[in-house]
Amino acid sequence: MIILFILPAFLVITFVFGVPLFRYAWMSMHTVSVMSGFEPIPNYGANWIRLFNDYRFWQNTIQTTRFAITSVTIELILAILIALVLNQNWKGRGLIRALSLLPWALPTTIMALGWRWIFNTPYGPIEKVASSFGFSPLNILSNPNIAWIATVITDVWKTTPFVALIILAGLQTIPNDLYEAFYLEGGKPTNAFFTITLPLIRPYIILGITFRLAQAFGVFELIQVMTGGGPASSTESLALYAYLNAMRFLDFGYSSTIMLGSFALLVFACSIAYFLFNKSKNRVTS
Amino acid sequence: MRGIINNRLIVILLMTWSLGPLLWQVYTSFATTNALVGIEIEETMRWTLDNYRQVLESDPPFHLYIINSTIVGIFSTLITIILALPASYSISKIKEKTRIISKTILLGAALFPYVLLFLGLLEYAREFNIGNNLLFLSIPYAALSMPLAILLMTAAFQDLPLELEEAATIEGMNIVQRLQYILIPLISPAMGSTAILVFLFSWNEYPIALTWISNTELLTLPVAIARLAGSSVYSVPYGAYAAATVLGSIPLLVIVLIFQRQIISGLTQGAIKG
Repeated sequence: MIILFILPAFLVITFVFGVPLFRYAWMSMHTVSVMSGFEPIPNYGANWIRLFNDYRFWQNTIQTTRFAITSVTIELILAILIALVLNQNWKGRGLIRALSLLPWALPTTIMALGWRWIFNTPYGPIEKVASSFGFSPLNILSNPNIAWIATVITDVWKTTPFVALIILAGLQTIPNDLYEAFYLEGGKPTNAFFTITLPLIRPYIILGITFRLAQAFGVFELIQVMTGGGPASSTESLALYAYLNAMRFLDFGYSSTIMLGSFALLVFACSIAYFLFNKSKNRVTS
Repeated sequence: MRGIINNRLIVILLMTWSLGPLLWQVYTSFATTNALVGIEIEETMRWTLDNYRQVLESDPPFHLYIINSTIVGIFSTLITIILALPASYSISKIKEKTRIISKTILLGAALFPYVLLFLGLLEYAREFNIGNNLLFLSIPYAALSMPLAILLMTAAFQDLPLELEEAATIEGMNIVQRLQYILIPLISPAMGSTAILVFLFSWNEYPIALTWISNTELLTLPVAIARLAGSSVYSVPYGAYAAATVLGSIPLLVIVLIFQRQIISGLTQGAIKG
């Protein structure tokens, strides 16, 4: 009986999450492209050798990591601040909470397009403000050195509400008595934050970070719509590179290799982060 | 914590930051191109409805994309709930050890950056010839939402007192009756939260819709918007873009304001129980 209940959901999950990964593993060992007429031809690891020597792949890895770490760090700091404010009792809190959720709820493509207009040179508001202060045009989206910062800002705008809600859930589990006792003992508010709040919301911070890092590592439509990966591939992400290989260069074998490679790097990065995190936790407790 | 942060200032900053870009889109959508590029013109020449006219009179009409997204959203939500409900009931009943393993696997799947799956999923579409079909597009959406849905609803089932179901069994109710008359009504808040999160995900999903749907009449809203932007990164028909983004945002604005409680409880329950 139980099996009958679980099986359909289990099958659907296996077919959507499991099978593609095995399929990628198989395709990454074959040439499946225009060159082979889309017939799989075994190539004995040529895709993987190409991946290791692919400058663009490693460049994209660095860019994607840079994007993910910068975005998630800023989001976390802002989210904690917002959650602290939303956790207090004041009039109109519910409405503010709902409105601040809007950026998260809108489709990414819609607001990626919106932000592209905001960063537009010379007609966007940022350039207008800059020029009214006498700056020369910033050319934000066409300057390879700073275009990625624009993508980070858009991502922070969009996903901070989500992180803030997770942190808020954590804050609401802390009983008020803890703070009262702390203040009775003569503790200061700033210290209360570091000795009570932060340690107690730690699991929520970890959850938020893990989830967001994984999502940011797979960033795709935000980049595709805002910059198309440019200028000079300076904002291209791994997912976008894999997409281009499959849909534009029609090289499915290599695209599969990129996706498996990205996934392996993500797992590797997560385990390092987890290891460092545990180490720092042990140091704090001892 | 009171006192160290100036609440009002932060709330004002937060609202400016969250809503500013949206209001800028609204402004842009009503402005003439001349006003946007900063040519000195009279006040009466600054405002226009042309952008909206242009979007609404396009072929296929813009509202079609909103309808398509809604269809996909409803189908995916139904499939997800129908499959996740029995699964989460069972997971809440199985042995502690098996349950923890199942939940860990589900959490891993929920965290997975699903965009990496698009090529594998596209192969299904080609193999079974099910691209360009909104109903079939709902199946991968349901599957991608399944891990989170099962986690949320399992937590809700586990929160119910055991005696409740025992009593119903003694009364002679079979498993379907127990679910139908007792358990499902009790977990309906969690079910509602799950449903609205799945709906939002499916409404907004991009990479899979992009690769599965090529028929312009079947495009979902996010893909239609991206296509609109597609051609050049530096072109300036931003008035029309803005009108499209405003129109595309209205359904979600309504959903968020009506269902904010369910959305927030879904996300926070996910964090607490997950």
